[in-house]
Amino acid sequence: MRQSLKVPALVIAGALVLAACGGGDDEADSGGADASGVKTGPGISDDSITLGVMTDLTGPFKDFSTTLQAGHKMWVDEVNAKGGVCARQIQLESRDHGYKAETATIQFPDLEPNVAGFMELLGSPMIAALKTDINDKQVTTMAVSWSSELLDQPYVIIVGTTYDLEIINGLDYLLEKGDLKKGDTIGHIYIDGEYGANGLAGSKYFAEKNGLKVSEAKVTSTDTDMKSLVTKFKSDKVTAIALTTSPAQTASAATNNVGLGLNVPMIGNSPVFAPALLDTPAAPALSKLYVVASAVPFDSSVPKAKEVATKFIAENPDVKPSFTVQYGYAQGLIWGQILQKACDAKDLSRAGINAALKSSNNITTDKLVSDLDFSKPGSPSSRTVYIGQVDKDSPGGLKQVQALKEFPDAKTYKAPHES
Amino acid sequence: MNTFIQVMVNGLGKGAVYALLALGFVIIFKASGVLNFAHGSFVLLGGYVAVRTQDDLGFTVSAILGVATAGLGALFIERVLVARRPLADPIALALLTIGVDVILTEEIIRRLGVELPFLGRPYDGKPIQVGDITFFRTQLIALAVGAVLVTLFFLAFRLTGWGVAMRAQAENREAAALMGIRRGRVTAAAWVIGGVLAGVAVLFLATQDFSGSGLSRGTHAIALVAFPAAIIGGLDSTEGAIVGGAIVGLTEALSAQYISFEFSKVAVYVVMLTVLIVRPSGLFGTRERTRV
Repeated sequence: MRQSLKVPALVIAGALVLAACGGGDDEADSGGADASGVKTGPGISDDSITLGVMTDLTGPFKDFSTTLQAGHKMWVDEVNAKGGVCARQIQLESRDHGYKAETATIQFPDLEPNVAGFMELLGSPMIAALKTDINDKQVTTMAVSWSSELLDQPYVIIVGTTYDLEIINGLDYLLEKGDLKKGDTIGHIYIDGEYGANGLAGSKYFAEKNGLKVSEAKVTSTDTDMKSLVTKFKSDKVTAIALTTSPAQTASAATNNVGLGLNVPMIGNSPVFAPALLDTPAAPALSKLYVVASAVPFDSSVPKAKEVATKFIAENPDVKPSFTVQYGYAQGLIWGQILQKACDAKDLSRAGINAALKSSNNITTDKLVSDLDFSKPGSPSSRTVYIGQVDKDSPGGLKQVQALKEFPDAKTYKAPHES
Repeated sequence: MNTFIQVMVNGLGKGAVYALLALGFVIIFKASGVLNFAHGSFVLLGGYVAVRTQDDLGFTVSAILGVATAGLGALFIERVLVARRPLADPIALALLTIGVDVILTEEIIRRLGVELPFLGRPYDGKPIQVGDITFFRTQLIALAVGAVLVTLFFLAFRLTGWGVAMRAQAENREAAALMGIRRGRVTAAAWVIGGVLAGVAVLFLATQDFSGSGLSRGTHAIALVAFPAAIIGGLDSTEGAIVGGAIVGLTEALSAQYISFEFSKVAVYVVMLTVLIVRPSGLFGTRERTRV
C-alpha cells in the first residue's frame, strides 16, 4: 500500500513543481514591476532596456545602414553616460537581414522576445513581411522606411516625412526654381514594392495638381543598369527625373542622364543617395541630384547637426559621413523621449511604451529631423523636408539648399490612411 | 530615328560583351563536351584579382593579371577536375562545374564583403557625344577588343595546328585520337581561352557604363546571360556565339525601349525558346541527323 502511494505522490509533486515554474514564466511574459513600481515587460531588466535593430549591412543599403548604426551608438553612449533612461542602461541587440525579407522573418522570432521595442527595422519589404508579427507581439517598432502605407500600423513608428511627401516637396522645389512647368513630363524610376509605390504616389499627385505627366519606370532591387530607362525618358522628353531607388540605381540613372545628353535635374527620396557613390565613376553626374529628406544633411549649419557631425568625425575618422548619422542619433533621441514618458507613467511594458508613443504630439530633436506628432493615427508625423544637393566637397556629400520647409502641395496631400 | 540609333548602339555595346562570354562558353563545350556552368565564377575570379591589384599596379597591369588568373583558373579546373575523368558522363561534369561555380563565387563575394569595386578607370563614365547619339567608351572599347579577340581566335581556329586539332576533335573525338591528336592539349587550351575571354569580359562588365554596378553577385548574374546567347547561336558554333551575343544585347535594348523594361528581362528567353522550337540546335549549331 505504501509502495502504491509513492508514484502518485511523486507525480503530484512533479506537477506542482512544473506548475510553479510555468507560473513564473507567465509572469515574466506578461511583465512584472520593479522596486519603484514601474511595470516592466520583455527587454526590460532592473538595470537595462534592450532595443532591437534589424538592419542591412550587406545588401543594397549597407552604406546607409552603417552610418545609421554609428548615430545609434553615439546616442546610446551619451544617454548611458548620463545614467540611462528610467535608471536603466540602453542596450542594442542587432541582426543584419541583408535587405532580404526571408532572412528578416527568420531573425525576428529569435530577437523579438529579448527587446522592449525596435530602434530600427530597415526596409519596406521587411516591414511588410513582419507587419502581422509586430502587431501580434505588440512591439513598438521604429521603421527605417517612410512609406505612408504603414501609417495604419499601430505599433510602427515612422519618423518624419513619408516618401510620397518627400517627392511632392522635391518636385514643388523644382517648380519654384523654374525647372518644371505645366505640361512637362517627369520621369520616375521606382523600385517595385511599397517604397517605390509610395514615392510614385507622390509624383502622380504632384503631376495631377500641376498639370504634368509622369513617365513611369519600375525596376527591381537587383537592377543596376538604368541606361534603357533613361534612353526612354529622353525619347519621352522628360524635364526632370524623380528617383525612388537604391543608391546603385541612382548612380546609374545619374550617369546616363548626363551621358545620354538628357541633363535634367533629378530629385530623390532620402534612401537614394549614399556618400560612397562619390567614389564611383558616377560622381561628376550626381551633382544634378537633389535629395529630399526629413533628416538634416550631415554638413548642415543646424547647431545640433554640427555637434553630432563633429563628434562622429572624431570617433569614426575612417567612416564616410552621411546624413544617416544624425538621423540615427535622432532616432535615439525619439526613443529616449518615448521611454522617459512611459517611465514617468510607471509603465515600461510594451503596452505602456506604445501608449507613450501615441500620446506624443511634440517630439523634438533639435531640428535633426522636423518636430514630430505621433498622436494622429494615419497621418504622417511631419510634412516638412530638408533638401540637399549632391556636392563632392561637402562632408556627407550633400550641400543643404533648402532648410526645413513644407511646400504648398505637401500641405494639401492626403496620405492613404489619413482621416 | 535618333532614339532608334541610340537603342541599337546600346544593344550592340552590350552584345559585344555577351559575345565574348558566349564564345568562351562555346569553345569549352566544343573542345571538351562540357557545359561549363562555372563560367560566371571565372568572370568573378578575373575581376577580383584586377580590383585587388589596380590601386597598386595601375589598371593595365591589373587587367592583364586578372585575365591571366581567369585563364589559369580555368586551366586548373580542367586539369584537376575534368581531364582526370575522361570517361565521365558530360552531365556529371556539368554538375561538377556547378559545384565549382558555387564555391568560387561565394568565396569571392565573401572576400569582397560590402565593397562594390569598379573596373575600367581609363574608359568608364567617359561617354563620347556624336550629334545626338552617345557612345559609351566602355562599350566602344568592348566592341574593339571583342573584334580583335574574335578575329585572332578565328584565325587560330582556321590556320593553326591547334585549330585544326580542335575542329577535328569536335567533329569526331575517337577518330581524332586515332589520328594522333593529343586530346588533353586541345581541351586544356580551350579552357584557358574560355577563362581568358571571361577575364576580358569582366573588365567591361564591372563598370558604371555597362552594368551600373561594381564587381558583385550581380556581375555573376549578368555573366549568366551568356548561356542564352550561346544557346541561340548554337552551343557548338563559335560564329553562333558572336551572333547570339549580339541578338541578346539588341533584344534587351529594343524590348526595353519599345515594349517595357520589365519585359526586356524575359524577352531574351522568349527569343531563345522561339529559336529552340524552330531550330533545336540553335541558329548555327550542328543539326543532329539520325539514320534509321
